[in-house]
Amino acid sequence: MLHKKLWRNIGNYKAQFVSMIVMIALGMGVFIGFNMEWYSIETDVGYTLNETGFADYRLVDENGFSQGDLDSVKGIAGVEDATRFLSVNTREKASNDTITLTVTTNPKISGFTVTLGDQYDGASTDGIWISDKYAAANEVSLGDTLTLTYKGLEMTGTVKGLIKSGEYLIYLADDNQMMPDFTVSGFAYISPTMLASFLGFEYYNQINVLSDLDGAEFTSLANDALGRITLNIPKEDTVSYSEAMGESEEGQTMATILPVLFLAIAVLTMITTMHRITTKEKVQIGTLKALGFKNRDIKLHYLMYALFVGTFGTILGSLLGYGLAYYIMNPDGSMGTYMDLLRWDLVTPGYTYAVILMMDLLLVAVAYLSVSRILGGTVADSLRPYVPRHIKSTFIERTGIWKKLGFSTRWNIRDLLRHKSRSMMTLIGVLGCTVLLVASFGMKDTADTFIDVFYQDTMNYETVINLSEDTSNAEAMELCDQYNGDWASRTAVLLGDSPVSLEIYNITNGHVRFVDGNLDRIELSDGGAYICQRVAKENGLGTGDTITFSMYITSQTYSVKILGIINSLSESIVMTSSSADSAGIGYRINTIYTDEKNVQQSPLIDSTVSKTSVIKSFDTFMEVMNEMIWLLAIAAAVLGLIVLYNLGTMSYMERMRELATLKVVGFKDGQMGRILIGQNLWLTIAGVIIGIPLGVFVLQYLLTALASEYEMVLAIKLPTYIISTAVTLGVSLVVGWMISRNNRKIDMVEALKGAE
Amino acid sequence: MSIIEMKEVSRSYSAGDNEILALDGANLVLEQGDFIVILGPSGAGKSTMLNLFGGLDSPTSGKIIVDGTDISTLDSDQLAEYRASKVGFIFQFYNLIPTLTIYENVALVKDICKDHLDANEVLRQVGLEGHGNKFPSQLSGGEQQRASIARALAKSPQIILCDEPTGALDSDTGVMILRILQNMTREHGKTVIIVTHNQNIARMADVVVRVKNGHIQSCERRGNPLSVDEVDW
Repeated sequence: MLHKKLWRNIGNYKAQFVSMIVMIALGMGVFIGFNMEWYSIETDVGYTLNETGFADYRLVDENGFSQGDLDSVKGIAGVEDATRFLSVNTREKASNDTITLTVTTNPKISGFTVTLGDQYDGASTDGIWISDKYAAANEVSLGDTLTLTYKGLEMTGTVKGLIKSGEYLIYLADDNQMMPDFTVSGFAYISPTMLASFLGFEYYNQINVLSDLDGAEFTSLANDALGRITLNIPKEDTVSYSEAMGESEEGQTMATILPVLFLAIAVLTMITTMHRITTKEKVQIGTLKALGFKNRDIKLHYLMYALFVGTFGTILGSLLGYGLAYYIMNPDGSMGTYMDLLRWDLVTPGYTYAVILMMDLLLVAVAYLSVSRILGGTVADSLRPYVPRHIKSTFIERTGIWKKLGFSTRWNIRDLLRHKSRSMMTLIGVLGCTVLLVASFGMKDTADTFIDVFYQDTMNYETVINLSEDTSNAEAMELCDQYNGDWASRTAVLLGDSPVSLEIYNITNGHVRFVDGNLDRIELSDGGAYICQRVAKENGLGTGDTITFSMYITSQTYSVKILGIINSLSESIVMTSSSADSAGIGYRINTIYTDEKNVQQSPLIDSTVSKTSVIKSFDTFMEVMNEMIWLLAIAAAVLGLIVLYNLGTMSYMERMRELATLKVVGFKDGQMGRILIGQNLWLTIAGVIIGIPLGVFVLQYLLTALASEYEMVLAIKLPTYIISTAVTLGVSLVVGWMISRNNRKIDMVEALKGAE
Repeated sequence: MSIIEMKEVSRSYSAGDNEILALDGANLVLEQGDFIVILGPSGAGKSTMLNLFGGLDSPTSGKIIVDGTDISTLDSDQLAEYRASKVGFIFQFYNLIPTLTIYENVALVKDICKDHLDANEVLRQVGLEGHGNKFPSQLSGGEQQRASIARALAKSPQIILCDEPTGALDSDTGVMILRILQNMTREHGKTVIIVTHNQNIARMADVVVRVKNGHIQSCERRGNPLSVDEVDW
């Protein structure tokens, strides 16, 4: 018979059960979703890299590698396999799109997987295997003819296959692109045979290697084997690998912070609700005991509630989590615009199941403890209705202020203090809501500010001209004058073991500007270098210290004084050209920044990138972020709504007798409503006051956790505070109104009878 | 034959700093098949006695022997079995499970008691046939109390303990309840123990126990108990 009581009770406590299930589903959903997300990224990225033979190391030498060089590298003990490899940006003649032309002499390394069309043919004289995403975005089909141009050379081929490649898992045509944009750029492979006939000779600027050797060890073995010093780029320094893993890490950070918040609130909701239900049913528990039911039977009965909530919450949460993971991690979703994966399987890390199981056990334990407390005493005790502990008059009541307070205020203060756990829970719910809102909208502000600073302030140009490799410094300066531009040299140098970008600027027209850690603009001085925050942090360097870095190939070492710390998009060392000259650093000008929108094609120019296209790619990045932020903000509002509604109805049921008494005395429904809303409102205001600084703190924590990827500076705008406060207060008022609507339905006689 | 025997039973409660002695060295012998009324002012210890008889509470000291067993030494599971098999409880406020129907409230005892009676049969006995599918809140107070009696009877207990069974009822309904209870002793040989303020109920009792300040003042066997209908309510 007790199981019937179970189902009817669940029916009677609909609001409580629904809210517990929703909270647990939300908590579990967010937990499962984010864990699935990062783990799926890791697994699917791993799969794609593996399938297409993503290289562990890339030796780069602009003078090219011969077959003999390849054999030497292959001969190194610990090298599994190697290939000669070339990757250059060409132009598609008809559309002027950038096509990154790629050749690998050994298709098992840095190769590709055909998704449609013919398999790769290493002897093909006219076959082009092109990115299927580029093909889709530009209506390129199998059998189409494409003409690619490079340094005045022209090559025509036929599209034989549509492909994906691990090397271009995150395909950015050049440094200025933040998000892949397949409408204007793509990658393609041709055979070594075709390359030779295109160039008229053999040229490969890379040897890509599969090896389990340690990075430093491989570099020195390779240099010994080749008899010269080359630049070695490990996979960790490639965009595809590091950005994809960065996404996965970001997911992991999200998977730790947010679910903990949701799950904690879910458990707290469960604790208060089970406590309420069992105290409310205290007399029933006593009656069952008086009838002769054993403690075990009664405990089991209440454990079933927790089991019910846990089971349903887990099922819904799994669906929600899967949905969330799918939403982020599907080929047409936000990750799909970023990563080009061979498969999009959603996989769950094993420990997720363990955590879910522990959560369910915890819920059962909560129910067990709640009912045990009541079963602990004698049956006669449990038959007495639950009386909250008597509270002594608080310090407020002893002060003079108390006498000046109105009745409803006094009542609310006493009620809050008498039901401390309920009040605390309400506060925590509101707090959670505010924290999530402030943190998520604050994240948007921070990112917006970040973009504004970089794209409105520091990038004070219209076009970036990437110069050809053969362009001399004299030619570059002449071209720079022609376009009223500022020139720069950007190269990779070694700082310790890791490559950073050395950027040498000659700024006369103010097209490039710099900001410090607080995003305030600074002017570059001569006589030293500036380093970005990440370089400073990772190497423990500060202003006034000396930084020592070395050139690739020549291994020449330079030491310069650090003049300041700047905020930068990439990990870089920045200096003026006169600082570089006086430090004796040789450089080749490879970039010009200009206000000119139309730059004429010239053999000196490799490619041009307009600022709008850069901003466009950043917008895509922001879209992904905005989606996440809206998801979180909605979750925050739901969280607040559920917690407040649940506790509100509980408190209402507990105060039913008091409210009925007030009604008998002659209070109007509206007056009682104001008292009830008043209490909710106090807690909400307190929650908002604590929640705002806490939200800022959480955001700062998130930014610190993500600091290895972006040098974002916390920036929260006033509307964020206003919206967060307004949403939280709004939720609280809506809930208060929903609850106080019931005042009309109070049956005075019914509520007042039946107690001693 | 004695059914309940209290030997030097004391029960004290602590309330804050104070120690309240609800029963103070009480001795009492009650016989099987009697209609017993326990009278006394509020706080005299009547309900404490009833709770002790029913195994809802344990004495601080002393022995309570019910049907040859000292229930003060039983552990909580043994007490639960004792309550399930030996005693039926009837409360002033019925204490029906609001989420179970009347039938289910009575049939509930199937889960705990081997020798239970058929729920429909007991409901018929208390005059509630046809009400089985209603929920407690759909019944009047008298009907709820009859349902609670039915629940007590369904366990077929030797002893029926009633705490102010008519306290929340009007007098006509009260009389009906008392008639059912008196029948239990007269026709079924049960021992019925009623705790009440109501002096009138004492007039239909075989035995009247008077309690004051935790002491048993008297235990008087009345020669000529009235039937319910003879009492002037």
